[in-house]
Amino acid sequence: MGLFDILTGKRKVKPQAESRLFAMATAAVTLEMSLELKSSGKAAIVFQPLATADFTSIVTDMEEVLRGAGEDTGTGVEKTDDSFGYRWMVLSDEDFEDLVVGINVISQALQDGGYGERVLCAVFAFRDPQDQPVYWIYNYKRGTYYPFVPAGGDQRRDTERELRLKAQIGNELPVEAELERWFPLWGIPI
Amino acid sequence: MARPTSFGKDTGLQIRMTVTMFLLGLVYVVLIVALLAAGANGVTVAIIAAGLAAFQLFGSDKLALRAMGAREVTPAEAPELHAMIERLCIQADLPKPKVAVADTRMPNAFAIGRSPKSATVCATTGIMELLPPAELEGVMAHELTHVANRDVLVMTLAGFFATIAAYVVQFGFLFGGGHGDDDDNPSAMVLFLVSIVVYVVSFLLMQSLSRYREFAADRGAALITGRPSALASALTRISSGMSRIPQRDLRASSELSAFYFFPPGVGKAVGGLFATHPPMEKRIAALERLEMQLQGTA
Repeated sequence: MGLFDILTGKRKVKPQAESRLFAMATAAVTLEMSLELKSSGKAAIVFQPLATADFTSIVTDMEEVLRGAGEDTGTGVEKTDDSFGYRWMVLSDEDFEDLVVGINVISQALQDGGYGERVLCAVFAFRDPQDQPVYWIYNYKRGTYYPFVPAGGDQRRDTERELRLKAQIGNELPVEAELERWFPLWGIPI
Repeated sequence: MARPTSFGKDTGLQIRMTVTMFLLGLVYVVLIVALLAAGANGVTVAIIAAGLAAFQLFGSDKLALRAMGAREVTPAEAPELHAMIERLCIQADLPKPKVAVADTRMPNAFAIGRSPKSATVCATTGIMELLPPAELEGVMAHELTHVANRDVLVMTLAGFFATIAAYVVQFGFLFGGGHGDDDDNPSAMVLFLVSIVVYVVSFLLMQSLSRYREFAADRGAALITGRPSALASALTRISSGMSRIPQRDLRASSELSAFYFFPPGVGKAVGGLFATHPPMEKRIAALERLEMQLQGTA
C-alpha cells in the first residue's frame, strides 16, 4: 500500500497473486516418495460466498462444470459451509493431479467472474504413515504454500513438524517466508 | 456476468479527506512560520511536543490497553475470535495482530498500534455476547482496516502540530513573560494568538479527518468481508445496546474514543462538528450504498 493510499485511507482487497498452485502437482510426488506423506485423496477450496445474484449464478455454473467433468475424471464434489460463513468445496479423487486441476477450475471460475479476491485458500490433505493428517494450505493472495499439522487436542499445532516440512520440501514449493502468516485452519473437514 | 466494478469506490470521500488534510497542512505552515518568528521559545516547545508524540506512538499501546482493562488472549483462550481474525487477515493480506479482550459489558472494539506489525485489536466481552458471528466479523474487519490504514499513526502525526499549538496556548504567558518586564514582546504575542487560531481550526479539521477515517474503515471492512449489511446491522445493534450502559463506564474510557468502533456516549453527542465518529445514520447510509453497489443496483 502506497503512502497516498495510507493518507487517503484507500483500501482495496488484494487480488490473487500470480498462481503457483500447480507447484503442488509435482511436489506431491516428492512428498509421497521421500517424506512418506500420501494424499488423502481429498482437497478443498475455501471462499466467502457473497449474497449477490451474479455470485450465486457463478457458483452454480461452476458446480455444474465440475460435476460434468467429474463424470470423466471420477472427481467427486461436495460443499459445506463452516461456522465462520465460509464455503468449502471438497473434491475427492485418487488421482492427485485431477485434484489440483479441479481446485484450479473453481478458483479460475471465481476469478473470471470478478470474485477472485473472495477466495481464502486451498487445502491439500495428506496422511503420514501413522494416518495423522498433514495439510498444505495455499494462500491465493500471496501465491504461497505453508504446512499445517494439527497436533490433536484443543487447537494445538505441531510447529516443529511444520518447520521441518518446510526444510524438507526445499524449493519444490513456494513456501510462505513469513511465519506469522502460517494461519491455522481448525476443523478442516478433509 | 461480471461483478459491478464500482464496488467500494467513493471518490467524494477521497476528495473530502484530501482537502481536509491539505487545510490541516496549511494551518500548520502558519504555525511553523510563527514558531520560527518567535525564535528559541517556539523551538523548545516543538521539541517537547515531538518527544510527547514519540511517546504516544511508541509507548501508549500498553497504557491504552491497561486503561481499558484489556488483556491479550491466546488462541486457546479465545479460539473463535482468533480464528475469525486469522481469516480476515488472510483476506486483507495483513500479518496477524495481537488479540486482546476487555472484560466489560460495554459493546465495543478498538485497534491500537502504529504499524500492522505492532498492532493490537481488542474486543469487549460485551460486543462478543451482543453480536452474531457475521456482524462481529464486520466489526473486527473495521478494526483491521484501521490497522491497515495506519490510522493511529496518521492521527498522531496529524495532531502533532495541534499539540504544539495547545502547549503554546497553555504556557504562552510563561514563555512570553520569561524575559522580564518586557510584556509587549511582539513576536511572543503574535505566536500566542496564532496558536489559539491554529489550535481551534486544527481541532475542527482533526475531528472531520477522524470521521472520514471512520467512513474509510467501514468501507474497508465491507470490502474485506463482502457483507456491508452485516456491519450496518452491527451498528444498529450496538447503538441500541449503548444507551443501556451506565454513565461511569463511559466517562472512564473517554480518552480512547478516537479509535473506538463506536464512541462511548454517542447518544448525547454535541454538534456533528465536534464528534470523532460520524453519526450512526450516516455510517449506515454509506454501508447501504456499498451493498447496492455490490448488488449492482446502484
